[in-house]
Amino acid sequence: MIGFIKKDLAVIKSNFKLIALLIVVYSIMGFSGEMDFSFILPFMAVMIMMSSFSYDSYNKWDAYAVTLPDGRKNGVRSKYVTTLLFILIMAIITMILSIGMAITKGVGVNMEMILLTHLGTIFGTLLVLIFLYPIIYKFGLERARVGIFIVVFGIVIIGGLVSKVVDLSNIFDFLSFLENYWVIAIILTAVIMTYTSYRIALSIQMKKEF
Amino acid sequence: MQNILEIKNLCKKYDNFELKDVSFSLPKGAIMGFIGENGAGKTTTIKAILDIIKYQGEITIFGLDNRQYDREIKEDIGVVLDDMFFPEIITPNDISYSLMSIYKNWDSKLFNDYLKEFELLPNKQIKTFSKGMRKKLEIAVALSHHPKLLILDEPTSGLDPIARNEIIDIFQKYIENEECSILLSSHITTDLEHIADYITFINNGQILLSKTKDELLDKYGIVKCSEKEFKNMAKGDYLKYRKNKYGYEVLVEDKRAFKKKYNSEVIDKMTLDDLMVLMIKGAE
Repeated sequence: MIGFIKKDLAVIKSNFKLIALLIVVYSIMGFSGEMDFSFILPFMAVMIMMSSFSYDSYNKWDAYAVTLPDGRKNGVRSKYVTTLLFILIMAIITMILSIGMAITKGVGVNMEMILLTHLGTIFGTLLVLIFLYPIIYKFGLERARVGIFIVVFGIVIIGGLVSKVVDLSNIFDFLSFLENYWVIAIILTAVIMTYTSYRIALSIQMKKEF
Repeated sequence: MQNILEIKNLCKKYDNFELKDVSFSLPKGAIMGFIGENGAGKTTTIKAILDIIKYQGEITIFGLDNRQYDREIKEDIGVVLDDMFFPEIITPNDISYSLMSIYKNWDSKLFNDYLKEFELLPNKQIKTFSKGMRKKLEIAVALSHHPKLLILDEPTSGLDPIARNEIIDIFQKYIENEECSILLSSHITTDLEHIADYITFINNGQILLSKTKDELLDKYGIVKCSEKEFKNMAKGDYLKYRKNKYGYEVLVEDKRAFKKKYNSEVIDKMTLDDLMVLMIKGAE
């Protein structure tokens, strides 16, 4: 799998200047209070990986990868691992910037708040990966781009409908038993959902013909 | 002689194309030229060998079932496929750095030697290479983990005659190790006439023949004759024929026997191009 990760990093490295520029621009905008950048950088990690899918697709890398030892399995696994690493790195950068911003503005560092915000951000970004990657492996990148809108739109619509039909306070009451454990619950849910997404993508790739 | 690759009754059905009972074998230490017109089934057969597509039938490589021993087999195979490779945004150095963690036997020094020999810059992005340079890079990658079997789909297409010659020399050098074999699909049949030991000819998803090159080029012949001479020939004495403005071209399986029987004067030596054209376009 390491070799496949190296290949993805080589693709990303080629766009390093652009990525670095975007990080700087978003950071400046965040510092100046123009926008909340806590979600932007981790989400950018997924977008960067989408561009690696795009290069793969253009050169039919997926088909070539299958001719390499354990190519089907390691190709999928490396995409998930590299994306997770990137999300984590971006979340750490954002966290450092948030602390820096709090210190600069003299508002005091609320570590608990910063950690919780970024946990939510990572979970939100993971949702994109969880739904999108199996779609990319099944239908290809082009259709997955449409898929991302459908997924986001679907979540918003379903969320809106649920909030109108169901009294959310009942759900919060039901979940109140998690009061002291909900951080663990979120992490556990993210791990289970990401692993399930990986297994689905892997199963699609194992059956795929090129 | 031990076979490095054996294909038995390979079948694959698409909506508009079908591979039908494809069977042939490649002995150890040999180069097999795999010929046929576009869409004949060469690439589909190669994809089945590499387990890239689902199929019916049996394929063994190094004596192992290719679906069951996928990893072990792929450690020892080098491939060049038509238009499938690493993303063009990366460099040969990146490729070497990745493949050293993928192949157990990846040889960075050998890879760099090939880069020097092919005059490819290790730090240049693949997208800056010409088509010929890309092909050379693909071949360098295919050879640099000391594979026992090379599977090459049109490896010399897009290359000028000098580059083709260089590459053919490399294939010949590679095959000096008697443990190694090459399956080489190509439209450039003159290259195959130089290096192939065996020729397998596929048409419309079926194998028409699989023989040693010497047997084909030595035994088969093309009789050039008039209509009257052609009409005197018994049907079983020729394989295919074609009428042109000068008379008839007739493909015969045993030119010496034919010459003896018909006392024919003009029997030309056959080329692989002639064989393909007459087998595909000729009448029976």
